[in-house]
Amino acid sequence: MAMLKTEEWYDLARQTNWTPRYVDKQDLFPRELSDLHDLPDDAFDVFDEPYKVTYRDYVRTQREKDVGAYSVRAALARGRFYENAAPGWKALLQLHFGGATFLEYGSVSAFGRGTRFGKAGGMRNMSTFGSLDEIRHTQVHLRFAYDYLGKSRAFDWAHKAPRTDNWVVISERHTFDDIEHTRDATSFAVMTNFAFETCFTNLQFVALSADAARFGDHTFATMLQTIQSDEARHSQIGEPLLRILIEHGKTVEAQKLLDISFWRCWKQFSPLSGICMDYYTPLEHREHSFKEFMQEWVSDQFIRKIIDLGLDRPWYWDIFLEDLETFHHAQQLGVWLYRPTGWWHAVPGVSPEERDWLEQKYPGWNETFGTVWDVIIDNVLEGRLDRTIPEPMPMICNMSGFELTGVPGKKGKVVDYPLDYKGRRYHFGSEVDRWIFQQEPERYAGHLSLVDRFARGVMPQNAEAVLQYMDMAPEERGTDGTNYAWVEPYRRLRGKAA
Amino acid sequence: MAAFPLVVNFVGDYGFKVVLVDDALTIGQVASEAARQLAGVVVAPLAPGETLSVKLPGKAVPLPADVKLADAGLIHLETVEIHRADVGA
Ligand SMILES: [Fe+2]
Ligand SMILES: [Fe+2]
Repeated sequence: MAMLKTEEWYDLARQTNWTPRYVDKQDLFPRELSDLHDLPDDAFDVFDEPYKVTYRDYVRTQREKDVGAYSVRAALARGRFYENAAPGWKALLQLHFGGATFLEYGSVSAFGRGTRFGKAGGMRNMSTFGSLDEIRHTQVHLRFAYDYLGKSRAFDWAHKAPRTDNWVVISERHTFDDIEHTRDATSFAVMTNFAFETCFTNLQFVALSADAARFGDHTFATMLQTIQSDEARHSQIGEPLLRILIEHGKTVEAQKLLDISFWRCWKQFSPLSGICMDYYTPLEHREHSFKEFMQEWVSDQFIRKIIDLGLDRPWYWDIFLEDLETFHHAQQLGVWLYRPTGWWHAVPGVSPEERDWLEQKYPGWNETFGTVWDVIIDNVLEGRLDRTIPEPMPMICNMSGFELTGVPGKKGKVVDYPLDYKGRRYHFGSEVDRWIFQQEPERYAGHLSLVDRFARGVMPQNAEAVLQYMDMAPEERGTDGTNYAWVEPYRRLRGKAA
Repeated sequence: MAAFPLVVNFVGDYGFKVVLVDDALTIGQVASEAARQLAGVVVAPLAPGETLSVKLPGKAVPLPADVKLADAGLIHLETVEIHRADVGA
C-alpha cells in the first residue's frame, strides 16, 4: 500500500486547534493551567518544533534504544564491575540512582500537563512523546538500580526516596515542584524544557556518560546515552514557545521565568554534578573539571542560544560565576561531614594528588576549602572519628534546600541573606535565592525546611530523631565510602615529616 | 529555660550551623557552647586561653557577653557570628 511521506501529512495532522463547540475555550484551556501570559489563541498556531517524529518512528527508535541498553546490561551482568569499582564511583552511582529516579517519574506527569493543557497542537504532540520518554527513563533507572540492590542497600533509594523527608529529597521536591509541577503549560515549557532540560540535564547525562565510558562503566554510560537522546528531542519544546512569548511582547516575563529556573536548577546540579565530577570520579578518569564543563556548555553554548533568541544572560551572572568556583566545594564538605544523613557512601576526594588537581582547577582551594579538610584530616589521623560528624545540624537555605554555605578560611566569606516576611524570618544562601522568593512570596512562604521543622519541634530535637524523621534506617546511613583509607597517604607524609 | 535555636557561623567555617542552646545561658556561654560543638570539628581548635565574641552580621560591636540569651533581643534562628578574640575585640 502506498504511504504518504511524513512531511506530506505531519504538519496537518498535528494542527488540532479546532474550535470547541461543547465547552468554552476557558474551560478547555484554563488560564492557570495553560497560559498565564494571556497570549492570543492564534499566537500558538506558529509553534513549530525543530525535531519532528511520527509515532511509528518513535516506537521503533525507542525500542532500539532499550534493546541496546538492556543488551549491554545483560552482556556485562556477570562481570564484577561494581565490586571492583572505586569507592567514589560507587558513591556516584548510589547518589545518582537515589536522587534522579523519582525526578524522571515526576516528569511523566509534568509532560502530561503539556499534553493536556499546552495551547499549541505541536506542543501537545511532543509532550505526549515526552511523557512516554520519562516513563522509559523511570523504568530503566529502576531496573538498572535494582541490579545493584544485592550489593548495596543504597540502591533501595531509587524506589524509596520520594516517600521520605530526607533533606536532599525535600530540596529536590521544592525545586522541581516549582519549575515542573506548579506552572501553567507555557511557563513550564520555558522553565523545564528550555532551562532545565536544554541546559542542565545535558550536564548530568552528557558529561556523566562520558565519564562513565572512560571509567569502563558501559552499562551506566549506555543507559545515560539513551536518556540523553530523548532529552535532545523533547527539550526542544521550550524554544518555539520562548519565540512566541517574545514575539508577543512578553520578553520581560520570559526572562524572569528563565532566570528563576536557571538558578533553581543550578543549585541542584552544582552539588549533584559538581561533586560527582570533581570529587567522586577517580582522578585518572577526569577529563574536565566541573567548572570547565560548565563554562563550555553553559557560558558559551547555552548563553549564545539565549542571546540569539533575544533574551539576556540572567541578571545575576556575576554571582553565578562566583558560585561556579565555590558552591559545590562547600557542599562537598557538608555532604561528607553529614554523611549519615545521605543514603550513599560519600568519599572525600581530597588525597594529596586530588588536592593538587583541585588547586590547579580552582586556584585558592587549599587556603579556603582545604582548611576545613585539614581539621578533618587531623581528626581522622588521631582517631577522633566522633569529631568528624558535627553535632549541630547544618543551616538550610529556604529556597535551595541545600546547606547555607560560603567560602571557609581566613580569606573566606560566609553570608546569610535573610528576609522577614509576615512575621517569619527566612534565610537564603544567596541574593538570587532571596530574589526568587521576593518575586512571588506566597508561592514559597509557609514551606518548612528540615531546619524549620526541627526548630519548631516537629521531631524531638536530637540527631537520632532527625535521622529517623528522614527515614534513614540505621543500615542505610551513609558512612565513609573508603572506610577512612583515604587518610593513609597523610599518615605516611606526617610519618616522614616527624 | 527553653531551647533556643541560633544560626551560627563560627568564623572560618564553610557555612552556618543550627546551634541549639538554653536561653538561660549568657551570650558568653553561648559562644563557648558553639566552640565546644565546632572548634576542632570544622575550624581549628581553640588555643589555650583564647576568647570569643558574638556579633550580629555586619555589626562591629559584639553582643555583651554577660547578658542572657533570653534578654538579648534575638529571635529564634537569628544569625550570629562567633569571632575569635583578635577580630574586633
Ligand atoms: Fe528524563
Ligand atoms: Fe526529560
